[in-house]
Amino acid sequence: MTAPKKTPLHGWHVARGANMADFGGYEMPLWYSSVKNEHLAVLTGAGIFDTSHMAAVTVSGPDAVALLQHCFTNDLAACIGPRKMPLADGRCVYGAFLNAAGHVIDDAIVFQVSADDFFIVVNAGMGAQIAEHLEGHLAGRNAAVADLTDRVAKMDIQGPQAANILAQLLASPETVFDRLPYFSFKGHFDPSVAQAKAVTLTNGTPLLLSRTGYTGEFGFEIFIGTGQIETLWKMVLEVGGAAGLLPCGLAARDSLRAGAVLPLSHQDIGPWPFVNHPWPFALPYDDDGGFSKRFVGSEALLNATDAPHTLAFVGKDLRKVASGDDASGVYDGQGNRIGAILTCATDMGIGWSGGEIVSIASPHQPADFKPRGLSCGFVQVNQPLPVGETIELRDARRKIQVTITTDIRPDRTARKPMGQMWTGA
Amino acid sequence: MKEINELNLPEDVKYTDDHEWAKLDGDVATIGISDYAQDQLGDIVFVELPETGSTFDKGEEFGSVESVKAVSELYMPLGGEIVEINAELEDAPEQVNSAPYGGGWMVKIKIADMAEFEALMDKSAYLASLEG
Repeated sequence: MTAPKKTPLHGWHVARGANMADFGGYEMPLWYSSVKNEHLAVLTGAGIFDTSHMAAVTVSGPDAVALLQHCFTNDLAACIGPRKMPLADGRCVYGAFLNAAGHVIDDAIVFQVSADDFFIVVNAGMGAQIAEHLEGHLAGRNAAVADLTDRVAKMDIQGPQAANILAQLLASPETVFDRLPYFSFKGHFDPSVAQAKAVTLTNGTPLLLSRTGYTGEFGFEIFIGTGQIETLWKMVLEVGGAAGLLPCGLAARDSLRAGAVLPLSHQDIGPWPFVNHPWPFALPYDDDGGFSKRFVGSEALLNATDAPHTLAFVGKDLRKVASGDDASGVYDGQGNRIGAILTCATDMGIGWSGGEIVSIASPHQPADFKPRGLSCGFVQVNQPLPVGETIELRDARRKIQVTITTDIRPDRTARKPMGQMWTGA
Repeated sequence: MKEINELNLPEDVKYTDDHEWAKLDGDVATIGISDYAQDQLGDIVFVELPETGSTFDKGEEFGSVESVKAVSELYMPLGGEIVEINAELEDAPEQVNSAPYGGGWMVKIKIADMAEFEALMDKSAYLASLEG
C-alpha cells in the first residue's frame, strides 16, 4: 500500500489541527474543530472545502464531442434546462461514465471550454482510469485525452454568502457574476487559455469559476493553479470570517450532500446498472422513456429490467446506522431483508415540524426551531418502493425506522439566481 | 485533533483501554469518556444511556455515543448497578465534547467489586498507552 498523497493545502490543514483521514488516496481533513458548526455554516453563511483531491481530464480536438457523446451518459446535444438545449461554451453538465454492462466507472461534470475543448472533473484517484477509458474508445476519432491529476488545484466555496465573500477578491465581480446561472462557468486556471482573462483575482491570478458544488447550497467550485491555491484559501478565510465562513472538512461535505440528495460515487452509484435511481437527469431520457442517443452502457441500461432500485430516505430523528458491517441491511414491514444501506448520514440542519422537514435556513420556521438533525441517505433495494413507505434499517447495534422520500433538506439555495445572492458592489 | 500533550487527563480519575474514565466517590463511580475519545469522535450529537437500576459486568456495553462520523459503543470500566444517569445529555450531548469530565459524565454505578476499580489505569499508564 502506498502512502496517501497530499494536496497543496495539506500543511495548512495539519497546522490548523484538522482531524485527517485517507480518502480516495489522499490524506484529507475530516473536520477542523466541529463538524456540526461546519455543516451549519454552509447553510447560513459559507464554508470552504479543499477539493484538490478530485481529478480532472481534458478532451480536445475536432472529435472531442463525438468521443464524449459515445462515453458520457448525458446528451451534450440536449442537456441544458427544461427545453434540453445543447451544451454551450461556458456551460457544464453532470453525468457518468459507464462500462458496457451499464455499471458506473465514475460520475463527472463536463465543462465546455470551447466547441473542441472540454474539461472533465472526476473523483479522487480516477483521472488515469477515466483517461484510459476515453482513449480506449477513441476508435479513430480525432481527439486528444490528457489526465490532469495533481496538476490543477480546486477549492469549493459554498453557502448563501459565497458570492458576497468572493466578490471582495475578484478583479471585476460585476462582470464575472453577470449571467452566471447554475451549472455555468467562466475563466480558466491555465493563463495560456484565452478564457483565463475572464476571471482573475485582485492579485491577477486566473481561475475557472463554476456555479456548481456538492452541498446543495449556492456557491462555486474554483479551479486554480496548484501554486496559487493556498494564497486564495487564506484570502477567502480573511475576508469571509465576518460573514460566518468556516473551513470545512469531508465529514460536513458528506452530511451536506446527503441532505441535498446527491450521490457519492463508488458508494451510492457503482458496479451495478445506472438506472432506477434519484438522478435521472444524468441520463439522456427522451419523452418516451428511451434515450436520445446511444452511448457505452446504454443497451445494457435499456435491458436492465431486474436492476436494483436506489432510493433516498429520511429518518425520524438524528440516529443513524452503520452501512458497512455484515449485520446491516434494509428490511420491510414483514421483517424480510430487501436490500442494503448505501449511505446513512445525519443532516444536522434539519428537523421534523408538523409532518414537514424544516431547515435552519428555511424562510418560515416554527418559533424556537432548534433542529438536532435527521438521518438520511440512500438504500439499494430489490423492488420499487413508494414515497412515504416506511422501511427499517438495521445494523449490529440498532434498528431505525425511515421513510422513502424524494427530497430531504428543504429550501436549498444552489439554484437561486445570482441577483438574489450577491448584494452588489 | 489534539496532540497528546494537549489532552486534558485529570489525575483524580482512572482510565480504560476503551477510553472511558471512572471517578470514585465512596462505593459509587462516575463514568464518562476521556478527552482523547471525545476529540477522536468529533461532535457528539446523541448519547444513548441505560436505565437506572440495570446492572452491568466489567467490559459490557452499556450505551453508545453518536458522532457525526459514527456510532461508538460505551463499555463499562467496572461492574455494578446504575444508580444515576446524566439526563442532561439528552438535550445537550455536546457537553461530552466541551466538558468530558464535568457536565459530560454519563452514568454513576454502585461498584460491585472494588478490586476492578483498583485495576484501572492511572493517568501515567493511560498516557503511556496513548503514546503507544
